[in-house]
Amino acid sequence: MLNWAFREMLLAPQQLFASVAAVAGALLLVLFFEGVFAGESDQIVALIDKTDADVWVMQKGVGNMHMSTSFVADWKVDAVAEVEGVARTTPILYMNSAVEASGRSWFSYVVGIELDNPRVGPWAMIQGARFPTPGGAVVPEIFASDAGLKLGDTIRIAGTDFRVDGFSGDTFSMANSINFVGMDDLADVMGSLGVVSYILVDAEPGVSAQALAERIIAEVEAVNALPRDIFVARDYSIAVQMGLNIVWIMTLIGGALAVLLTGFVVYSHVTERERELAVMKALGVRDRAIYAAVSAQALTIGGLAFATALALMAMAIPLAAEFAPKISLAITTEAVLRAGVTALVVSLISAVIPVRRILSVDPVSAFQQ
Amino acid sequence: MLGLTLRNLLHRPGRAVLIVLAIAGILAEILILEAFMAGTYVQLRHAVLSRGGDVVVAQEGVRNFVAARSVLRQQARAEIEAVTGVAATHPIAVLSLVYEQGEKRMPIIVIVYDDTGGPVRLTDGAPPLGEGEIALDISIAKRFGILPGDTFTVSAYDFAVSGITQGEAAIMTPFAFMSFDTLIDFYFSSDVADDIAAFPLLSFLFVDAAPGVDPAALAAGIEAAVPDSTALLPADLARNDENLGRELFAPILNVLLGLSYVAGALAIGLFMYAAVRGRLRMLGVMRALGFTSRHLVGATVGEAVLLTALAIPLGTFLALGLSSLIVWLDPVYLLPVTEPDALIRTTGVAIVLSVIGALVPLRALMRLDPATAFRG
Repeated sequence: MLNWAFREMLLAPQQLFASVAAVAGALLLVLFFEGVFAGESDQIVALIDKTDADVWVMQKGVGNMHMSTSFVADWKVDAVAEVEGVARTTPILYMNSAVEASGRSWFSYVVGIELDNPRVGPWAMIQGARFPTPGGAVVPEIFASDAGLKLGDTIRIAGTDFRVDGFSGDTFSMANSINFVGMDDLADVMGSLGVVSYILVDAEPGVSAQALAERIIAEVEAVNALPRDIFVARDYSIAVQMGLNIVWIMTLIGGALAVLLTGFVVYSHVTERERELAVMKALGVRDRAIYAAVSAQALTIGGLAFATALALMAMAIPLAAEFAPKISLAITTEAVLRAGVTALVVSLISAVIPVRRILSVDPVSAFQQ
Repeated sequence: MLGLTLRNLLHRPGRAVLIVLAIAGILAEILILEAFMAGTYVQLRHAVLSRGGDVVVAQEGVRNFVAARSVLRQQARAEIEAVTGVAATHPIAVLSLVYEQGEKRMPIIVIVYDDTGGPVRLTDGAPPLGEGEIALDISIAKRFGILPGDTFTVSAYDFAVSGITQGEAAIMTPFAFMSFDTLIDFYFSSDVADDIAAFPLLSFLFVDAAPGVDPAALAAGIEAAVPDSTALLPADLARNDENLGRELFAPILNVLLGLSYVAGALAIGLFMYAAVRGRLRMLGVMRALGFTSRHLVGATVGEAVLLTALAIPLGTFLALGLSSLIVWLDPVYLLPVTEPDALIRTTGVAIVLSVIGALVPLRALMRLDPATAFRG
């Protein structure tokens, strides 16, 4: 029966192709939707991740960077530096703001860095200076391209004009493009003199980040300190939690669509072969064997559709980077597993629909015309 | 031909139901995406327009409300109140916080207000007029199981929850409201006290114009009198925020919508291909009886359009149900599924897609041999 099932499918390759394409389309929607959230979430933590400090120190009561405000008195930079196990401290100022250019606005992280300290800054450059000069800014290349900016052009951050000194790579996302400016310039914009937002701490060799963070909290007044991995995880979880419910519902819709499409294909297949099935039943083939054949067809369609959707998604990531650079895409293991399980469940549920049809086939109909 | 189309559908009702359900599912998914986009813009506009005032004054150069950091000098209020045509000013401070409870975290935009600019709609409790009180959007209350009277702890400061608001959120971020007395107490009593100087106490001033004063002229007068400020009409500020939302969401949602439309075309194409394949003998009989290829293509297109027409109301109801489920699960979203523009656009595109999908089996129909009718 299994041979029959596969032969039957291969006899109509166009139908098989159309079926797999349609179901793959539904699964691709699920993967794509999750991929967008995963890609954006990855970008939300890009600064923390790429800067690679061992410990991040911030205002007490604050435990995030995304959508957070942190202010720490600047004398605490020295206080943190004196903690045993600290090799280096680097302060940054930071704010969320709309950045304006060419009459349009973008959500952005604006990071104020010490101009004479190369510890923090863009990690990939496309053009121009890696570190801004006073009054200058290094902006994401995709943002610059979208706004039609050239080096030397002007952008506006919270009412202050900045000259574009450089274009950075890997710093753009829809929710938070990262713009680097001088710390003094940003302090002027924010009207916040004598404070920093975060202190990046490099540990001495062999010093545990967790132990160092605990020591900083104990020794420096009113600060919070988190090892990089924990800080990344906390910001990532915020991004994921913000989109969790809508992703879940979209997965449900995509999964339901895949059920209907696979069910339809297998149902049509069985309906077209009603007489053959009746002959088989008349010849003594058990219902169980026919069920297995129908299930195999459904599983094949589901499996091929899943593989196709996964392959298309894998192709979409570099294609999006090339042709739609504003979209950050990523595949997570959880998303792949979820889509895989969806495809499997879809196939099995879909097989149930035509089984009812098979049950109703009267063996006598094989001999009627 | 319409009769034939209807008979075709009724001949295999199970198949027709599956097709209608699948098309309805695709339409529902598209309508929810469209609603997500429309809801985002409505929320962004509402965030500004529901605060009141005829003119909004921000830090010089700041032209957004939700995503902007605006800090006005304390003295700016007196200077603006001295401008001719100003009837009253209402201060607003805006700050971002992340609330966490266990492993759950949620960013919150806190709006601090005096007498105007507070929550528009309370579903439970009272406005946060007392010291130490806070009103939370229902999305915060729901996610963390908070009720009026509960304690809401941020930065080691215990707020008393005075009320629950509804519809106060933007960009997947809920709002919370408190008074200036509470803000000052929060700054001094919580862990942030050490660094209070850096925190904004005045972000925006919402200005009431005196009777008969043109708000646009008043905005120009305020900018002339207080050069380190920007004065905008609330509608302009709301439009700027909406445009920011478009920059944020439109690129990705357009791709998702495009992908959904392609999936829809593929699905309809599959249905019609399968339908034609399953009826080749019958279609052969029709050719033998003198029906032309144009008749057969017309019948197939008619069938696809009819199935889609049946799916449109079902898809709309499905979208309404699913969007209600999403909003019930997480009220931070606003999903106006029945927004007319999106509904008309989606319906129109669905009909076009059904025609495109119906053309998938075109080759098979054009090459159909009447002799098919006489083959076993």
